[in-house]
Amino acid sequence: MSNPILSISGLTTSFRTGGQWRDVIRDISFDIGPRETVAVVGESGSGKSVTAMSVMRLLGGNARSSGRIGFDGHDLLSLPVEEMQKIRGNRIGMIFQEPMTSLNPVLKIGDQITEVLMQHRGLDHATATTEAVRLLDKVRIPSARARLGEYPMNFSGGMRQRVVIAIALACEPKLLIADEPTTALDVTIQAQILELIKTLQQEEGMSVLFITHDMGVVAEISDRTVVMYRGDIVETDTTRQIFRKASHPYTRALLSAVPQLGSMAGQPRPLRFPVVDMKTGEIAPVPPTADTVRHDIAPVLKVEHLITRFPVRKGILRRIAGRVHAVEDISFDLHAGETLSLVGESGCGKSTTGRSLIRLEKMTSGRVQIDGKEVAKANQGSLAEIRREAQMIFQDPFESLNPRMRVGQAIAEPMIAHGLASSSEAISRAGTLLEQVGLSAAMADRFPHEFSGGQRQRVCIARALALDPKLIVADESVSALDVSIKAQVINLMLDLQERLGLGYLFISHDMAVVERISHRVAVMYLGEIVEIGPRQSVFENPQHDYTRRLMAAVPIADPARRQTRRIVDSEIKSPFRAADYQPPKRRYREVSPGHFVQLAME
Amino acid sequence: MSSYLLSRILQAIMTLIVMSVLVFVGLYMIGNPVDVLLSPSATPAERLEIIQAFGLDRPVWEQYFLFVSKALTGDLGNSFVFNQPALDLILQRMPATLELAFAALLMALVIGIPLGIRAGLRPDGLVSKSIMTFSILGFSLPTFWIGLIMILIFSVQLGWLPASGRGDTVDIFGVPVSFLTLNGWSHLILPAFNLALFKISLVIRLTRAGVMEVMQLDFVRFARAKGLTEHRILRVHVLKNTLIPLITVIGLELGSLIAFAVVTETIFAWPGMGKLIIDAIAVLDRPVILAYLMITVIMFSLINLLVDILYSVVDPRVRLEGASR
Repeated sequence: MSNPILSISGLTTSFRTGGQWRDVIRDISFDIGPRETVAVVGESGSGKSVTAMSVMRLLGGNARSSGRIGFDGHDLLSLPVEEMQKIRGNRIGMIFQEPMTSLNPVLKIGDQITEVLMQHRGLDHATATTEAVRLLDKVRIPSARARLGEYPMNFSGGMRQRVVIAIALACEPKLLIADEPTTALDVTIQAQILELIKTLQQEEGMSVLFITHDMGVVAEISDRTVVMYRGDIVETDTTRQIFRKASHPYTRALLSAVPQLGSMAGQPRPLRFPVVDMKTGEIAPVPPTADTVRHDIAPVLKVEHLITRFPVRKGILRRIAGRVHAVEDISFDLHAGETLSLVGESGCGKSTTGRSLIRLEKMTSGRVQIDGKEVAKANQGSLAEIRREAQMIFQDPFESLNPRMRVGQAIAEPMIAHGLASSSEAISRAGTLLEQVGLSAAMADRFPHEFSGGQRQRVCIARALALDPKLIVADESVSALDVSIKAQVINLMLDLQERLGLGYLFISHDMAVVERISHRVAVMYLGEIVEIGPRQSVFENPQHDYTRRLMAAVPIADPARRQTRRIVDSEIKSPFRAADYQPPKRRYREVSPGHFVQLAME
Repeated sequence: MSSYLLSRILQAIMTLIVMSVLVFVGLYMIGNPVDVLLSPSATPAERLEIIQAFGLDRPVWEQYFLFVSKALTGDLGNSFVFNQPALDLILQRMPATLELAFAALLMALVIGIPLGIRAGLRPDGLVSKSIMTFSILGFSLPTFWIGLIMILIFSVQLGWLPASGRGDTVDIFGVPVSFLTLNGWSHLILPAFNLALFKISLVIRLTRAGVMEVMQLDFVRFARAKGLTEHRILRVHVLKNTLIPLITVIGLELGSLIAFAVVTETIFAWPGMGKLIIDAIAVLDRPVILAYLMITVIMFSLINLLVDILYSVVDPRVRLEGASR
């Protein structure tokens, strides 16, 4: 590479904790050429974000960096603060993960754009405003001029990220640093933003440093890839080469853990993830999955015409001004040993469905039977019995465990509460359960903070298993985990299904994981099931428009299959309706045995 | 917005009703004002006459409805002691108390906010720690003690400032105010600072906590990544977000400054409402107590309303609606 835009060499950054300096990234070196996109990829704790923040020198007083960061003839690390401020937002633009919080909530969008233009380009307010309108047009925000006077709360997540990008690009920077810019967004919105970044890069001729944990996004966007692991670079190569023939075992492990949409073609049953030896990089063969679905007995969960609506009240008299139709007339069965996934984007009602089933949310109407027992009619006693049959695992393993309770107690508690075991029995059984989820019985004495995120999710699973449930509702249970951990937890869930014959209702937004784990899939949109059927049939032959859109938006972890996609710039709609709204009666068409798709309304 | 206002007015009326019932029942149970007011040598006939004149011979619910029907015409009754309309008594004293309260509030803001920002920006520095120590003193030392010490130092030892009373007043729209004369200021400064001390400490702590919290937020990091100067980040991005929670607290505190300036007014012999109410309670002068509490409730409601409106101006996320969810 002749003239790199950014040249990092020997970058080491340390944080001070309790008077001790501890290296967080060590000896990082890579270049970014003109118009090139370089992805830095790694799991949590790999130091990828610290690398980006070190380049911008945004880490604050508790951090120090050494080495050299060459940019535009300067060493960024030795520039005085005033000079650095002239580079930030001007020559190097930066965007962050959380579009919801990157913008100041009490300042108008227009002011947040113009302040950069006035600071760096010395424009007066009127010219800056005109320029701001041009920038918003450029990031494809409709009726830009009218929206300048609005506050961030009036923008959706995707739209906010567009505003953030407009700000970062305001001064036509040479380099854009994007730190997980699409992680917090829904998959169709993510596709739009990635497309936008690619287009703008071509228009502006800038280079991009892209930080992400998502191998799919890497394959989609980057020319070269830097793989980081616990503060070190383990591999740097062209993206094509990394995906074709990674040389480092960690990279191979990372790649094999990435669920790839479409990799399950021809596979009717769920499949475990391959396990990779971290030292040798050898991939163990995947054991075939047994057929666990018990069609011969009555379904463990039966849902008929479930409706859950939330009234929105206004005025002094608390009149119902409208309703959120969170779940609208859905029906499905789930057999023992079967995994049914509810998949969809934020606000589609998938979580509310899960919560309604065990009456964590009050259903408006409909009929839910768990193991033959009516949920809606249950009194306190029988409800407790039903909840014993159906356990729930949540997304955040950090928040669903009491920090002041030893995990052994946490697992034993439901058994004692339901009167199933004496406290000494319960404690000894907690040890067995911990072993069942791949931890050791000795860990029962530890507190949640002594576990990693993946281990904590295992503890949550052990707790759910404590009552011998027949059904587990897993609400985004693996979404917050790193890829390699995610693969392990999914393997564990499949093991347990084989051994215990559990039925899973797997609620997720992640199409690739859903493809891996489910027997059947239900796609939800605005509270309704638009398509439901055997996984193979739905993924190989999607019928509904929305299912297709959802699948097209998933980034493919294979640079060879990078396609130029037509992305529709559409927002996710809201299920809020007027008080007198009567939902239309939906009709379904059977595509193939068990595969139903909602018919479009004329 | 109009439905919001209406619901707030309804709330205020409910509070007034509940409060007046409580005061009526409470005072009725404590004792008979006639026992306190009348000299022991009074004859039973005189006694009966007084009781009838005050209407105390009727059952308490009847007394209450009489009070309400009169109150609706704007008559809150005559003071048992002064035999003047209770409302007039209070309104005469009100400007002095308001002047004292607003002076104290101004001090709390002008001193508290800058110190709080300074302490929040570098929380580990020596200056910050000194500011925080000062604020702990402001919180923990009793107001009356500090008042006495200040009188001792500034009035007795140094002789710079007068120890008691209100200074020369000038009438503005018929309201006597003292902050326009030099002599008035010299009288105002000590009691106002004494009253403000607790509030200064409160404002310092709130501002500091606010600044420290906001400085950690993503949009501040993004503002730095935009290349803005630290000065602009503080002035535009941090300050506005810090002020939002402060507004609520300050509003409530203004109410308490006005209503409970009693201690300071007593120490500095400030001729405000606080002194009046203390005397009224001592002799169970029910009309005055009731009128005072009525006015306090209305004032609190007004201040709360102002705070909410101000809040919605500063924070675009807040929309004023009927009742809160």
